[in-house]
Amino acid sequence: MSPRTRHSLELVLDNLVWFMLVFVLAVFSIFIPNFFQLGIFANIVEASSVLGVMSIGLALVIIAGHMDLSVESVAALSAMAVGIMFCSSGIGLGLQLYPDWLMVPVSLVIALAVGAIIGVINGFLIVRLQMSAFIITLASYIWVRGLVLVISGGRSAQDLAPAIRWFGIQRLAGLPLTAWIAVACFVVFSLILAKTPFGRHLVMIGGNETATFRAGIRVNRNLIIAFVLAGAIAGLAGWLLAIRTSGATANLGVGLLFNAFAAVVIGGVSLKGGVGTLPGVYAGVLLLSAINTAINLMGLPANFTQVIHGLLVLAAVLLDAFKQTIRQKLA
Amino acid sequence: MSEPLLVLDNVTKNYGAIQALRGISFSIGRGEVVALLGDNGAGKSTLVKIIAGGLEPTSGRMLFEGKEFLARSPAEAKAAGIETVYQDLSLCTNVDVVANFFMGREITRKVLGVPVLDERAMEAVVGKALANAGTRIPSLRTKVEHLSGGQRQAIELNRFVHWGGKLVLLDEPFAALGVEQTRRGLDMIRQVASQGIGVVIITHIMQQAFQVADRIVVIRHGVVAGDVARNKTSPDAVINMITGETLAGAGPAS
Repeated sequence: MSPRTRHSLELVLDNLVWFMLVFVLAVFSIFIPNFFQLGIFANIVEASSVLGVMSIGLALVIIAGHMDLSVESVAALSAMAVGIMFCSSGIGLGLQLYPDWLMVPVSLVIALAVGAIIGVINGFLIVRLQMSAFIITLASYIWVRGLVLVISGGRSAQDLAPAIRWFGIQRLAGLPLTAWIAVACFVVFSLILAKTPFGRHLVMIGGNETATFRAGIRVNRNLIIAFVLAGAIAGLAGWLLAIRTSGATANLGVGLLFNAFAAVVIGGVSLKGGVGTLPGVYAGVLLLSAINTAINLMGLPANFTQVIHGLLVLAAVLLDAFKQTIRQKLA
Repeated sequence: MSEPLLVLDNVTKNYGAIQALRGISFSIGRGEVVALLGDNGAGKSTLVKIIAGGLEPTSGRMLFEGKEFLARSPAEAKAAGIETVYQDLSLCTNVDVVANFFMGREITRKVLGVPVLDERAMEAVVGKALANAGTRIPSLRTKVEHLSGGQRQAIELNRFVHWGGKLVLLDEPFAALGVEQTRRGLDMIRQVASQGIGVVIITHIMQQAFQVADRIVVIRHGVVAGDVARNKTSPDAVINMITGETLAGAGPAS
């Protein structure tokens, strides 16, 4: 095999999920009437913003060799905190700040802080007390959702302040600002993971934690930062969710966790840690969103989505195993 | 020899009721190669971990360059100038050769105040270091998982030669190497020592110890059972020290 074919084959393997996305979009465009139009593609991007942002945080900790099941509940708690403070009906307190735009940074900081605090708790328990990330974040998944129910009393907040809602309405190049926020997050965190020492260390910690410790990398510090980032990013997802739904309900975002896992796995991130890139995860998110949109357009009952998502995850895992065998032949 | 590089003074380590080290005292000079020998479970690896910052001693003290020294983490030992090569390789197989070579010490440049990896500069350094050592690896961008055991060990050895520091600890570094690579590895150790760096090498192979070491220290049951200059002893005498039979030819090095 010549170096060039080997190189291009590597390129295809590394970006397989993007080729899958293009393939799926092409197939849908050919076979589904009305699929091929800018509005539909914009809708795919728009509908994936909350899931996309949440998947970034999840992917970071999984790449570092751990796990965060709490992201969904954290997003709900952040959304509820923002909802209670800045919604004017339901359980909303209708807090007003002058000038109006001040509510944007304040609500954003609150959402991020809520997420970061839970991230600190998760990270501290996992790293300092050497407990399993699966169990600790499973507990957080449950108690944080419980906290949402407690502070809301099971009721909902509606009518988010217009100054904050503005992000979901104002469009730039056909996409609402919330979608641009998600895209910007992917760009920023992709660069951090691929180009900075911190990102490189996370990947290496996921690959061989002992080796990185011996090499003098501050493993615990890096891991706690990763969990705080995952929490804060989930908080941002909650902020976007509150804008999208113009408020918050007690069961907001239920089920997002499994979609986020699906996106991360489809995007080529290995649950064993150390493997995966964020652009791949974004392709995974878009792929799920494209399939949802296609199902809507075809008028299939929405219940089918779950079956298809499940099969897609299965296909992604099988594909990953297949990729490994090809790579072994390449090496 | 003037002031020794590292002095161990009655270092002990207990795991609960078990005494792994019962009081180790010896010293290493600059540019000196010390072979650390001993049977399985004698405490060699424990000792290396204590010097390298992976474990804290229960009691005793260490002097590094004449100053009181205790590494609470590998990062602290590294900062002091102590490099370690462990017997189970310390490589991240999920990243490429360059990333492994620079693990924890990446070259960066600032872009808008943010440190960004300078891949080109790092690749150039690694290429040069491997070429100097005569190690051939097809592509420095290959992930380490695709490399052979010998190539992996060569990367580790080249890494410590490159970074050097002041003291190098090698815990069975040649376990996966072939004859030719082992010979080159031993040459590397002499070369490193000639730069004034102290070297401690743990090995099971008597022949290697006699090929490379200036001094041989034998540990048995957590104490120093022998500390002799290489040219004043013989393999048979060392084996007797390891197994604990008569201490023929053994005695303090000084």
